Amino acid sequence: MVLIRDDVVRPKAVLDLWPLRKELAFIKREVDWVKIGALTTIEEICSSFLVRDYRYAGFPDMCGLFATPYIRSLATIGGNIGAAHPLSDATILLLTLDSEVKLVSIRGERWVKLDKLFLGKRRLAKDSSELITEVRFKEVPEKSSTALLKFDRRWGHSMGYVVAAAYAQIKDNVVREIRIAFDSMGRPFPERAKKTEEFLRGRRLSEDVIEGACTEVLPKEMKRISDYRASAEYRLELSKVLLRRALLRIKSRIRGG
Amino acid sequence: MSNSLSENRYPYIKVKLSVNGRDYEVSVRPYERLIDVLRYKLGLTSVKEGCGRGECGACVVIMDGKLVPSCLVLAVRANNKKILTLEGLAPEGKLHAIQKAFLDVMSVQCGYCLPGVIIATKWLLDKNPSPADQEIKEVLSGQLCRCGSYLRFVKAVKLAVKYLKEGKVYFDIQELKGSPLRGG
Repeated sequence: MVLIRDDVVRPKAVLDLWPLRKELAFIKREVDWVKIGALTTIEEICSSFLVRDYRYAGFPDMCGLFATPYIRSLATIGGNIGAAHPLSDATILLLTLDSEVKLVSIRGERWVKLDKLFLGKRRLAKDSSELITEVRFKEVPEKSSTALLKFDRRWGHSMGYVVAAAYAQIKDNVVREIRIAFDSMGRPFPERAKKTEEFLRGRRLSEDVIEGACTEVLPKEMKRISDYRASAEYRLELSKVLLRRALLRIKSRIRGG
Repeated sequence: MSNSLSENRYPYIKVKLSVNGRDYEVSVRPYERLIDVLRYKLGLTSVKEGCGRGECGACVVIMDGKLVPSCLVLAVRANNKKILTLEGLAPEGKLHAIQKAFLDVMSVQCGYCLPGVIIATKWLLDKNPSPADQEIKEVLSGQLCRCGSYLRFVKAVKLAVKYLKEGKVYFDIQELKGSPLRGG
């Protein structure tokens, strides 16, 4: 609606998917998977079992930062992914959970890894006949947790200069598995910080290691842009700070169980 | 100019709405927004258009218990829904405790944002009759007020909570002595 109003897109026809909510609005656990229907609203996610499980504590983080209450009641998870915009909080968190997206068309259905879905800003690796119907991720093991952080000058309705999310499994202070995602790593869509992940995987999560990941490894693989909202230097500095905070937050969440 | 939206080749669709307790049946174009129907078809001008893109909160209404920006809801999507706007908050000749509280603390200057702020407050108090300061701030964080009356909004919401706890839901407009409504 906003894009039509701003004359960014001029569709010949608009199809209202809302009547499909009967089928496509759900959050459920099935065997090893957590499945979320594309038309599930952010508000519904924020009142689901996901926000009561320490392993998925990134979701309540996200809920508190996602736009405003009246947008959370309309915005859907499918829309957040489909918008293919860098500052899509829910999408960034889903990247750290190694999510997959289900695309359905008249020819059938297929699953695409979320980190393979984006080609550019508002450009997805799917054709226009394919509909995002579901996103799913594997249940994460014990001793693991998630976190999402965002920095902006205001809390209400903030878009964020930087959004960072992470998932980590930490046993005996050693990082067993880790996934980190930012609103942008250089290209205009959310992406994983794979080299930083690689650096942290298998290491003891000491002060030195965190310092190294944030100040040495991350800046090498991240390229930030300057625009009217913030400079590239500032964004990079914020990214380092948010990554450190995310790691410490996850660590304390796992300890707190 | 060939703006496809202005051509009349789109059929009217009948939409049933229950607004402020009254039932309406209106014919709308498929691209019409709920705010247009409320303002221009039903004359409910408390629903303000600020940004028209879901950022300012001036147009929020309560639809089936959910707080929604009416500028981002297509009218057809409101079919068979119950909608509350500021006009429906209190019966004729009365003010709701929230309205009274906002007047008492003289919370407004220009007042453009206020219908949205009051509706958001109503939605909050329906969910939680005694919200903490932080919760008030979070819920009102989406309501932009360019006069910057935010601190008084929080004060007003707390006063409204007090009125409602004392069982004072409606106030007679005639009895509002010394209020800005009566001119001092």
